[in-house]
Amino acid sequence: MIAGGILLYFTIKRVIYKQIDNSLITEKIIIQDQIEDTDTIPDFEAALGHQIEVKSLNFPVRNFQAIKDTDLYDSKSNSFLACRYLYYSGNTIAKKGYIITIFQVLSEKEELLKDISLYMFFLFFSLMLISILINYFIARKLWRPFYDSVNTAGNFDIQLDKPLDLPYTDIIEFQQLNRVFDQMTTKMRNDYLNLKEFSENAAHEIQTPLAVIRSKTDLLMQQKVLNRDSISLIKSINEATTRLLKLNQGLLLISKIENRSFHEKKKVSLKKIIEKSLDNYKEIMQIKKINVEFEALDDALVDMNEVLAEVLISNLLSNAVRFNIDGGFIKCHVDDKYLVFTNSGLPLTIAPELLFRRFQKGSDNPQSVGLGLSIVKKVAESYGMHITYNCIDTVHEIKLQYRSGIPK
Amino acid sequence: MKLLIVEDDRSLCLSITDYLKMEGHVCEIAYNLHEAVNKVADNTYDCVILDIGLPDGNGLDVIRDMKANKLAGGILIISAKGSLDDKVTGLKIGADDYLTKPFHFAELSARINSICRRNNFLGMNEIIFNEIRINSNDNQAYVNDKLLNLTKKEYDLLLFFMANRNRIITKESIVEHLWGDDVILTDSFDFVYTHVKNLRKKIISSQGRNYIKCIYGFGYKFSDS
Repeated sequence: MIAGGILLYFTIKRVIYKQIDNSLITEKIIIQDQIEDTDTIPDFEAALGHQIEVKSLNFPVRNFQAIKDTDLYDSKSNSFLACRYLYYSGNTIAKKGYIITIFQVLSEKEELLKDISLYMFFLFFSLMLISILINYFIARKLWRPFYDSVNTAGNFDIQLDKPLDLPYTDIIEFQQLNRVFDQMTTKMRNDYLNLKEFSENAAHEIQTPLAVIRSKTDLLMQQKVLNRDSISLIKSINEATTRLLKLNQGLLLISKIENRSFHEKKKVSLKKIIEKSLDNYKEIMQIKKINVEFEALDDALVDMNEVLAEVLISNLLSNAVRFNIDGGFIKCHVDDKYLVFTNSGLPLTIAPELLFRRFQKGSDNPQSVGLGLSIVKKVAESYGMHITYNCIDTVHEIKLQYRSGIPK
Repeated sequence: MKLLIVEDDRSLCLSITDYLKMEGHVCEIAYNLHEAVNKVADNTYDCVILDIGLPDGNGLDVIRDMKANKLAGGILIISAKGSLDDKVTGLKIGADDYLTKPFHFAELSARINSICRRNNFLGMNEIIFNEIRINSNDNQAYVNDKLLNLTKKEYDLLLFFMANRNRIITKESIVEHLWGDDVILTDSFDFVYTHVKNLRKKIISSQGRNYIKCIYGFGYKFSDS
């Protein structure tokens, strides 16, 4: 564009100058003809914008023509004007020399040049602008189905039972794209469901052999002839079995939550559930000398599955008790927007967000399976609740915000 | 007690039978639905321990069959699935209790005893062990006929011990019995220790003997030997 503009400028300039030169030459020819034909120096009025000088000499001169630029002093405007002039020296028939000088003031032509260039430039510029805009709008319209498809595919959630809702398009290539996305996501979802079913079935199947192990060790324990070594061995088996059990149960629970096995909902009173849970832990908290404060709005009702609510609260409270220090405190606050558990404890050694990951343990306890908080997170997520864990020094706080508030 | 154990896993079935026999119960076995239905038709049992996942059908049908034929006896469902629907359905159609596999035998014992107590109107309202007596009608415990002032958990603990007399029970099974399955408890089993200690103290201060023996490595045994 810019290169074109520059080229244009010089081209027009050349054109104009050529025009000027041509008119200079034409004038000169007219005068020359007149001089050479009639052998007289003519008298004439200077044409507008032209200054013509004719000088006659008594001796012959060499034929010479040149067109050059110069500045002429203009008394009227008291300044120098840029001019282009033609200089011609020739001879009459009578071999008498004469010189013709024709001056053309350029300012007008310069103006013209400037104007033309400017207009041309603006023309090209707007053309370019319009062309860009048109391109942009066409491209947008053209590519819209592509971007829509890509967006939709990008938002695909394998856990939702919703098929990919790709926008209709009559462009063959994008239809193809949509088809591929559909096939791919369907296969992904099927594989995922198969895997889930398999792991759930596997977990169920594991229960029975585990029951057998536990039953045998239970019997083994009752035997009269057990020495210290045997006891120790059986104890280890018991511990490992229990751990396996809790692990299995925890994973099954998470899997069932994802499966929406707990789809029944009702208006659950968190206050009642917390009270029940606190009662359950009453003695433990007494032994650990933990001070408990509980405040709740009577109407803190949340629309969710009752069993899951109990699991949620139980896990939260169990955590608050387990990681507490002797003589510590637990504060619980429930209102219609959120639920907060605050407790004292040892400072965290890992980043709070990591605690919600499966098998992430906050302690080195071998009995701890590390699923508690990830179960809490899973329950929270399935109801669109927002959960955060904050730890300032030795004070831990878990806050759960539920979207559905009090039913009006 | 006369018990019927309906369980298709032979190994597990054998374990359960062995354990219950140790308690002095008479045990009979059925490995599938067909056998179970036949057995309940021919005999009367104080309690049927019923696995739902049977190879030839759903164990719940045994319950329906028993109720349809107005057969007496307690029913304890054991199941690996732990499905809430199964539990609700089972209890609704007439089962007395529901226990999820895997379980502690001590828990199984306690549940069976509880069912039998509830169903048996004649006698068996009381559980007696030497000078300790528990009356399940008013949920009170007595030592030498003197009332013991126990908290709920201490009462449950005593009941648990007495239902599993002369057998070793692990601290784990006590924790699960007192605080439930979901309660993921503690680093140490100090709480169990404290509760046991308190219970012992109360019994002794009422001139009762201490039957709660500490068993190295495992837990406790409630016995007078």
